[in-house]
Amino acid sequence: MIKNYFKVAFRNLSRHKAFSFLNIIGLAAGMTACLLIFLYISFELSYDNFHTKSDRIYRVVADIKTPTETLNADGPSWAVAPNAKLEFPEIESAVRIAANGQVLVRKGNIKFQETSTAWADSSLFNIFDFKLLKGDRKTSLKEPYSIVLSESTARKYFGNNDPMGQILLVDSDGKPTKVTGVMKDIPENSQVKMDIVISMSTITQQYKNLDSSWGGYGSYAYFLLKPGVDPKKLEKKFPGFLESRNGTQMKKSQMYPTLFLEPLRDVYLHSTRNGSKTPVISNVYIFAIIAVFILLIACINFINLTTARSTERAKEVGIRKVVGAGKKQLTGQFIGESIILCVIAFFLTLLLSSLLLPLFNQLAGKKISEGIFTDPLTLLMLLGSAIIIGLLAGVYPALVLSSFKPVIVLKGRFSTGTRGILLRKGLVVAQFTISIALIIGTIVVYKQMHYMRTQDLGFNKDQMLVIDTDGDPARTAFFQSLNTIPQVKSASASSSVPGGGNPGAYSEIENKKGDLQIANLDLYFVDFDYINQYKIKIIAGRGFNRQFATDTTQAMVLNEAAIKMFGYTSPQQAIGKRFKQWGREGKIIGVMKDFHFRSLQQEIKPLSMRIEPDRCNLISANISGKDVTATIAAIEKKWKAMIPNRPFSYYFLDEFFDRQYRSEVRFGNLFLNFAVLAILISCLGLLGLASYSTIQRTKEIGVRKVMGATVMGLVGMLSKDFLKLVLIAFVIASPIAWFTLYKWLQSFAYRISLGAEAFILAGLAALFIAVATVSYQAIKAAVANPVKSLRTE
Amino acid sequence: MKHMIKITNLEKIYRTEEVETVALNKLNMDVKEGEFVAVMGPSGCGKSTLLNILGLLDEPDTGSFEFNGQEIAHYNERKRADIRKHNIGFVFQSFNLIDELTVFENVELPLIYTGVSTVERKKRVEEVLDKMQIMHRRNHYPQQLSGGQQQRVAVARAVVNKPKLILADEPTGNLDSSNGNEVMELLTDLNEHGTTIIMVTHSEHDARYSHRIIRMLDGQTVTENILV
Repeated sequence: MIKNYFKVAFRNLSRHKAFSFLNIIGLAAGMTACLLIFLYISFELSYDNFHTKSDRIYRVVADIKTPTETLNADGPSWAVAPNAKLEFPEIESAVRIAANGQVLVRKGNIKFQETSTAWADSSLFNIFDFKLLKGDRKTSLKEPYSIVLSESTARKYFGNNDPMGQILLVDSDGKPTKVTGVMKDIPENSQVKMDIVISMSTITQQYKNLDSSWGGYGSYAYFLLKPGVDPKKLEKKFPGFLESRNGTQMKKSQMYPTLFLEPLRDVYLHSTRNGSKTPVISNVYIFAIIAVFILLIACINFINLTTARSTERAKEVGIRKVVGAGKKQLTGQFIGESIILCVIAFFLTLLLSSLLLPLFNQLAGKKISEGIFTDPLTLLMLLGSAIIIGLLAGVYPALVLSSFKPVIVLKGRFSTGTRGILLRKGLVVAQFTISIALIIGTIVVYKQMHYMRTQDLGFNKDQMLVIDTDGDPARTAFFQSLNTIPQVKSASASSSVPGGGNPGAYSEIENKKGDLQIANLDLYFVDFDYINQYKIKIIAGRGFNRQFATDTTQAMVLNEAAIKMFGYTSPQQAIGKRFKQWGREGKIIGVMKDFHFRSLQQEIKPLSMRIEPDRCNLISANISGKDVTATIAAIEKKWKAMIPNRPFSYYFLDEFFDRQYRSEVRFGNLFLNFAVLAILISCLGLLGLASYSTIQRTKEIGVRKVMGATVMGLVGMLSKDFLKLVLIAFVIASPIAWFTLYKWLQSFAYRISLGAEAFILAGLAALFIAVATVSYQAIKAAVANPVKSLRTE
Repeated sequence: MKHMIKITNLEKIYRTEEVETVALNKLNMDVKEGEFVAVMGPSGCGKSTLLNILGLLDEPDTGSFEFNGQEIAHYNERKRADIRKHNIGFVFQSFNLIDELTVFENVELPLIYTGVSTVERKKRVEEVLDKMQIMHRRNHYPQQLSGGQQQRVAVARAVVNKPKLILADEPTGNLDSSNGNEVMELLTDLNEHGTTIIMVTHSEHDARYSHRIIRMLDGQTVTENILV
């Protein structure tokens, strides 16, 4: 019997090629989108689960209460990890990891500005499962000036030679550092990522009191707890621990940290301490919902196309029943057919997704491996889900088909009845509701992206070339030499530029009441020209000026957000007030207008600026727009002459700033692609449905034509029904989309308002697409010769 | 001879929202085992309704229907299907073959649903195709056959399960006279080998092949001519 079903199924498929094509393509497209999203989601969920002890590893974070605000730090102070390890027997092991930013590494003529470097305690390899190919897990990071390289980094410097015991010159001072280990490249789905690890003892030797620095921040810390230890109970012991070790200092500085333990597996997905307002998990949810939607659309297509075609299968059902088939057997047969279709679509899906994966990776900015396509268990699981999809999508059509009464269908007195039509229309409405919501979403996401990129940021970022000198001693000479290049209109030096990192400084500022108020202030070290060159507006007092000798050490400029924090209602009031910050004291000389030194997702934070030439490693050069390549070449020539040891590294400020929106841009692109796909699949369904509905109305069209109906009139009549459905879908989709997008926009501190135009645009787009799809069928039916259609009756 | 079918006061009324059509009006009818009965009458007299009820494809509203001594007028669909597949074969005016199946597969279909083994199926299908002289067409699809050939396939399908009763609904209606005669010969032959046949027809010529002609009008039998 099964054989017979297969036979009929395959013959049916090959006989009705257009139908099968629509059905299989629709399903395969939906399943491909789903599979890609599934890969993306499972990649995101796989972060850090390769560590065998991951359920016992916790990241230590701190909420630091100052009189002004509470700071959510992603790491504790330097002293916490080593001291807690000694204090609490619950902690099996503790490690500090301090990201190092850019580091110059040299071996003879080979030199690279390494960007992925960190210092770490020797317990690193005891806690994390990073694979050490060479060297000892326990001792490789013990001695000062020890370095462990990733496999690919080692190859950069040593080729195929054994790097163990070799010497690399690290940092500008070129300290000889010994290679004591080579680790396998850290996998993409690791939250802790680095190519070069230098032993923590290297810096604790230089800064002797780092291990007892309770107020200095700058490293991550991870604890490996002993089996069975309750992290919540341990957390409760931390306040007493901090109090006993550092109580007096806390009172003096008025900074009260509270320590928390974040489970390692939650850090990547759930933590909002990594700079972004929304945790990764919310994107995961959004895409999971999109995947379900797309699959739903594809299944609806399938149901619609199959039931619409039931007229053609009715005769077969009648005959089968007459010769003895029961309802159950027929239901089984039709479900079987839909499963066969799904399985065919599934193999197409595998092909499509393996072809699309590189593109998808690029779009999503991930490196999702193709391993899934070779793992038999996963493939089997996916095949299983394809069969389940076939089952779910096949049930309704199968029930409809198998309930036909042979008496009726064999006499040819057959119509699908209003019940089925209503359901199919409902399904089309559902499809278009989802599609329209996705279109609206895409438009709004893009508008927000556009807004963020074109918004006046309050400073000049055009034609601004930023050169990172990494503190090279020759940087001042290099800086001065830029004056000799005519295309460089102006230049200034600073510790930070907008869109990049900057220190947060423990500061005491005189507030409205006249007290010195403690706060953590973002801090830019700048030179005298920086504010002018960046066209940052001074709204009270003055900017830094060479005429005032005290400006170099005793002057501070604050932004509006800062003076608001200290209680001033107008910028004038803050001028001349006292400050203490990082060992300097002086007066506030000016207030600058707020500018966006971080992305538009974040509120503008209080910011302070001071002159400190020693810390100004970044040079911003405002260059003329003409022949940029030649200008850069000229600058590079100077660099090579003066700082030959370092690679010349630069970036354009506008691009650098926009890099903050990388994940939003990716999000938008993914969103766009899936929305387009959803629309396409919906259209496939609409196309199929329209063609069957016109076939069913062939006789009506013939009669109307004989009576004198025009082609235009007929097309209108045939299209009207479907357009009504699109309109209903629009009415349902709009409030849902509005609500969802309203929430999404809340995650941006600076955002567009949700205007009507995105909704109108999406509605028109859906209408246009539907008209184009339906009218093709309608026109075909309307121009046909009525004699032909009437004769078939 | 034993009664195969005994129908008493059978009624069937079709209702739409506004119109009520009486298709069968207190109809009485007996068919003995081994008989060949022709049912005749003008369009709309209830012939097809009667045949559908006889074939257990439809159920009467009131009245009694005994099949082989069993009262089955109000059996549910599953029970009726069960009796149908073991006892009744159908031949239609428009052949009603499944286009996606070959001649062999079409004939095989009833055997599949009664659960006959593959080997046995092959044997029986080939036997009956041989008898109908369409063995050489076994791998063709219905559209590749002439009308007469298609109807022979349909007859083959009707008899492959060795049913006790064959219901034929204008079996020659779509055929020319020579093909029509061939089909009638086939039915006669089957009847001579013991199969009961009830045939609805418009053709006096075809009706003469039967033993007895039942004439219907407005849902009732009006006359009976016994030919043999």
